[in-house]
Amino acid sequence: MEAVLWYVLTGTRGGPNRVRILRTVDDRPRNANQLAEDLDLDYKTVRHHLDVLMDNDMVTSSGDDYGAVYLPTDRVQHHWETVEQITEEVD
Amino acid sequence: MGLWLTLAGAAAAVNVVLLLLLVGIWTRNYLDIGSKHALGLAIFGVLLLAENLLAFYYYVLDPQVAQLLRSAAPVAGQAMSFVQFLELAGLLFLAWVTWE
Repeated sequence: MEAVLWYVLTGTRGGPNRVRILRTVDDRPRNANQLAEDLDLDYKTVRHHLDVLMDNDMVTSSGDDYGAVYLPTDRVQHHWETVEQITEEVD
Repeated sequence: MGLWLTLAGAAAAVNVVLLLLLVGIWTRNYLDIGSKHALGLAIFGVLLLAENLLAFYYYVLDPQVAQLLRSAAPVAGQAMSFVQFLELAGLLFLAWVTWE
């Protein structure tokens, strides 16, 4: 899991924005629209990042409905120290 | 032998382009996130870039060296240029997961 966190958050093109999304949904669960507004990102960009984060079992959604909220998975919570370590420098 | 050289040179050239792209992404992430993991990836990319520039130099800019290696040890020469194809396959996959 730690290697996945490192690569998805620091090795990929969308890494820095994924860090921001992960920290934002950890603060409190949000839906894709709220994330787009809070982080000043395009809605489609947020959707793409959420898909990648879900693919890697890093966030989970509260349901399949439009407007479902996203939150970090138990696995990521378990490794939150690593996330903190990776994201120390991100604003 | 000429075909092998041309193909190996082309593979090295594509590797250089892919590595420039990857090093660009990893360097930007390092500047943005400051994590040593991104720095490690960027350094790895730069070193592999150097290897491919050297290969490109031998196979395309100065093919005499490559011809010499091949005539001295044909199997070894082909195996060496085969490395460029293996790297190309690996880099294509890495570029795909990094771009996603």
